[in-house]
Amino acid sequence: MSDISQRREFLKLGMGGVAAAGAIGLVAMSGKEAAAQAAGDSQLRTIIDRGHLIVGTGSTNAPWHFENDAGELVGMDVTMARILAKGLFDDPTKVEFVKQDAAQRIPNVTTGKVDITIQFMTMSSARAQLINFSRPYYVEGVALLARPDAEIKTFDQLLAGGSATRISILQNVDAEESIHKVLPEAQVMQIDTQANVIQALEAKRVDAAAVDLSTVRWMVARDANRYFDAGKSWNAMLYGAALKQGDLDWLQFVNNSFSIAMFGHENALYDAAFKEYFGLEPPARVPGFPSI
Amino acid sequence: MEQILYAIPFLGHGLYITLLVSAIVVALSLFLGVLFGVGLVYGPWPVALMVRIFSDCIRGIPILVLIFVVYYGFPQLGLNMSSFWAAVLALTLFKTAQVIEYVRGAIGSIPRGQMEGAMSIGLVFSDRLRFVIFPQAVRRFLPPWINGVTDAIKGSALVSLLGVVDLMQAINQVIGRTYEPMPLYLLGAFIYFAINYSLSSLSRMLERRYSYIRD
Repeated sequence: MSDISQRREFLKLGMGGVAAAGAIGLVAMSGKEAAAQAAGDSQLRTIIDRGHLIVGTGSTNAPWHFENDAGELVGMDVTMARILAKGLFDDPTKVEFVKQDAAQRIPNVTTGKVDITIQFMTMSSARAQLINFSRPYYVEGVALLARPDAEIKTFDQLLAGGSATRISILQNVDAEESIHKVLPEAQVMQIDTQANVIQALEAKRVDAAAVDLSTVRWMVARDANRYFDAGKSWNAMLYGAALKQGDLDWLQFVNNSFSIAMFGHENALYDAAFKEYFGLEPPARVPGFPSI
Repeated sequence: MEQILYAIPFLGHGLYITLLVSAIVVALSLFLGVLFGVGLVYGPWPVALMVRIFSDCIRGIPILVLIFVVYYGFPQLGLNMSSFWAAVLALTLFKTAQVIEYVRGAIGSIPRGQMEGAMSIGLVFSDRLRFVIFPQAVRRFLPPWINGVTDAIKGSALVSLLGVVDLMQAINQVIGRTYEPMPLYLLGAFIYFAINYSLSSLSRMLERRYSYIRD
């Protein structure tokens, strides 16, 4: 908490002169119509006039934002940015990515260095005091990654192992508590980086690695001979994009684009990414009662 | 080994950025540091005081804080620069403060008699520095300065905090994709070592080159 309040103090430096946006509404229209009607001081107007979107994200966390073998930035966060560019300019390539450290996610939004941050950001009330969150575009959770060749690999086997079961997890204030929620007796090994948490599994120092559900799906989809999903996930967390406060037109536009891509008719980009990065088919969209 | 060979092609640009950042920082800080250092030792008291305040403030601030102040604070003053230049500026400020102190130490270690002797044979100030003081001071300046240069190269990894993809960040990008950290950290350690070891060797050569000057 003190960390957050310190950060808030620091951010106040960069908060000077945020003009409040005027009118609300005017969504679901083409870029040109929006340009004609968006309030003059909205970031939405600035972006349309500029001709491309500036998105802050990282480059070191598969499957969210990472470089593929060709050196291109890809991932689920990157796809969400492409969805916005498609909505703005009918061209998913019109995005400039600003690579940023996780610690820069909020400051870069509040100081206007980027139009929006899309970087696996957990929505929380404390953060929402500093920035506006978009609607969530993914529900993250904790899950267990195991080795397919091990004798103990399913969740039931891990649970039956009792205090002999060893679990690695990223260092965190409530890491131990989080594991003990589902495996009350397991030994918890806290490790410094996500990659090393998985390294501990491969080095057979632990029976399972507790990592993000999306990471488990990504690793298993990539190499099923090396990784196994133990079949348990818990601790749901919402991931949303971060925008500067005081600009409801721009926020509404982002929410609108995300909703259309996830629940409406323009879901090709979202579905392809969901399949590629998480190995899952999104649920079918059924006409009739709105599911959102 | 396979992982290392796989990673190498992705590190080229990062290595280039690391070397570029280091080169700019070292060159700028050398120029500014010598200028201000001379100002500190020989300048009139207002100049000396300004340099002293600058040096003490900058050296008293952690470099991490300095980087964030330049990146987020300077735009408030109307100076909006890219991540790359913000990082270079912050590292340069930090390094300049160090070079000022190296210069002060090196010049301060030359006996007063040298300056007075040069004055007595009628050399003007710039010639006294050029022909008498600097040739002697440079020998004392070199070892700490080269040490500072290797520090600057290692310290340049901090630019990744502003999202600049240097060698270390390029390594992290490959790890983010492969989840195989160990071979890549070893590779990174080896590359940094190779650069810095070459510099240390060069430094020893230079020190020998200047060793003809006796104290």
